[in-house]
Amino acid sequence: MLASTGDDEPDLVVGQDLPTEAATPRVLSIISHVMEKLVARNEWLANQTKVFGKSLEAFHGVRAPSISIAKYLERIYKYTKCSPSCFVVGYAYIDRLAHKHPGSLVVSLNVHRLLVTCVMIASKMLDDVHYNNEFYARVGGVSNADLNRMELELLFLLDFRVTVSFRAFESYCFHLEKEMLLNGDASSLQDNRPIKESLSAASSLSTLYV
Amino acid sequence: MTVADEGKLNLEEHPPLWGSRSVDCFEKLEQIGEGTYGQVYMAKDNKTGEIVALKKIRMDNEKEGFPITAIREIKILKKLHHENVVELKEIVTSPGRNTDDQGKPDNNKYKGGIYMVFEYMDHDLTGLADRPGLRFTIPQIKCYMKQLLTGLHYCHAHQILHRDIKGSNLLIDNEGQLKLADFGLARMYSQDHSGNLTNRVITLWYRPPELLLGATKYGPAIDMWSVGCIFAELLYAKPILPGKNESEQLNKIFELCGSPDENNWPGVSKMPWFNNFKPSRPLKRRVREFFGQCQGFDRHALELLDKMLVLDPSQRITAKDALDAEYFWTDPLPCDPKSLPTYEASHEFQTKKKRQEQRQREEAAKRQKLQHPHQQHSRLPPLQHGGQSHAAPSHWPAHPTNNGPQQVPAGPSHHYYGKPRGPPGPNRYPPSGNQSRGYNQSRGGYSSGGSYHQQGRGAPYAGGPRGPSGGAYGVGPPNYTQGGQHSGSGRGQNPMSGSRNQQYGWQQ
Repeated sequence: MLASTGDDEPDLVVGQDLPTEAATPRVLSIISHVMEKLVARNEWLANQTKVFGKSLEAFHGVRAPSISIAKYLERIYKYTKCSPSCFVVGYAYIDRLAHKHPGSLVVSLNVHRLLVTCVMIASKMLDDVHYNNEFYARVGGVSNADLNRMELELLFLLDFRVTVSFRAFESYCFHLEKEMLLNGDASSLQDNRPIKESLSAASSLSTLYV
Repeated sequence: MTVADEGKLNLEEHPPLWGSRSVDCFEKLEQIGEGTYGQVYMAKDNKTGEIVALKKIRMDNEKEGFPITAIREIKILKKLHHENVVELKEIVTSPGRNTDDQGKPDNNKYKGGIYMVFEYMDHDLTGLADRPGLRFTIPQIKCYMKQLLTGLHYCHAHQILHRDIKGSNLLIDNEGQLKLADFGLARMYSQDHSGNLTNRVITLWYRPPELLLGATKYGPAIDMWSVGCIFAELLYAKPILPGKNESEQLNKIFELCGSPDENNWPGVSKMPWFNNFKPSRPLKRRVREFFGQCQGFDRHALELLDKMLVLDPSQRITAKDALDAEYFWTDPLPCDPKSLPTYEASHEFQTKKKRQEQRQREEAAKRQKLQHPHQQHSRLPPLQHGGQSHAAPSHWPAHPTNNGPQQVPAGPSHHYYGKPRGPPGPNRYPPSGNQSRGYNQSRGGYSSGGSYHQQGRGAPYAGGPRGPSGGAYGVGPPNYTQGGQHSGSGRGQNPMSGSRNQQYGWQQ
């Protein structure tokens, strides 16, 4: 049902010349950190209960990709040049999913596919200029057909609630900020500005030609 | 109808099963629209027997995935529940029939396509207005205008800009209800934090001056300009500003509304394209003067129109204030929608054979049109008083015998499902003679294969972000198309435009 993850591995590891930490928006590191934490917790839960839930089945790969969440997000950012806001909105989608389908867990088998689908839809919604599904599929290491199917699946899972209001957006930024502080990792990042500010004007929600 | 109130209560939690039903739950009765970008069917819900309109979302462009216009339209319509906004009832999927994945149909859950299920509406405003021999009464026009403004006010209050208000996007049912449709270009806006928006929206004839001058920050006032154009069109019985391209559109606007300057529109000289388009000599505002001579425009109508067709968007009347206008509260009062005459149902149960005949007639009509492009009918101006008046006037040319027993030579469809997007061109006025049965259909149904370029309706969308559309239910193209590709066709080649323009007193 899913394209073999194995086939995509070579593609996924491309990108040795990923941008340096400084060039990557801070929001990416925060989100990957939060997602890694979430996945670790869910993996533990799933091991206990042996239940994954059905809703996210469409996103399950055969095995977990070897690329880390952080590197995967960096890769998406580097090649698709989507605005950093898309990652916040994509994170909001995953959060909405988790609330709407609490029985279905985001785990290492599905987190990559979920992320690329979410970011792609967010970019479609937000960015004036955005790459098409075919390009996102190549960047994300999945087949075009798979990505299209996952896109639809996600839209229906979200009940087409793909708008994130400015207020909600701000509160997601705030939430991510807090997560970071709670973990005491904030100081290890070079850029200490609040996330909202680090999303440059050109990429913020407010300047989208739609 | 109490849809609005109920809807408000369950804003968040719509039926949880959206997308879970298959299109097989509906029996397709008839295809009522076919555009390059999708089909619209009239269908019956097998369970309830309810008649609906099914709009297929084309997804054959694999590279693009699910069309962004469809995502937008769905998410916006899901939020809106009002008796003057078309209701998106649900979304159904069509499992591909040729499943080849070893009986695992799940894989192809969406292969066959996604359909939007709308309530079925019998007509659209342009189709109704163009109906030969039909003339609206003043109470009827007030009734439609009031509903249009009520629906639009609801959208604006929910921070939604429609961005494509025009007659063919206003659906009307046989109970006189008017509903806004086609939200494929609509978007959210916010007052406090207005970002840059594209100015490539709204069909040219209904596009406000600020967009034509390049504004990328705008608000609900853009829709109110379109409403003004429709209001005047209903009373004047033809489109009031039929520009062929952006520059001609602006000229027509300035000739009617005067030239913009820093006095009547502070900041206009800083608009991006002001210097390209500013009139060479100052022009006087002639809205009241011009329409004052026309039948149907009383003092209150002029007053309201004058407030709608204001150049400066910040001074243009809002939907809410327009509803309070004297016009709607003085005699003759808007009539009750239910009191309006019902017009014969259009699509019902036509057999395949009939459709084939129709197609042949369309072909003939097209050929005839090319040969005799100058024949035209025009709409009739409104009646001053109530009363039913949709019988054909005596001067109406003889109508074909193949119309059957009908007296009113209505086309088989008053819908513009599947019509190319954009204001009407030559087809709007049926060629006289024996093709009238087919003419509506020919506006609607034929645009596959690109023949749309030869037809007028879609043309003035010059530079617009969308190409042709499937019509009032908005079968939008999956992708933004080229700018300018359509300019020059349609209206530009419209053999009537010359004679029509001469009817405009202010242009000479």
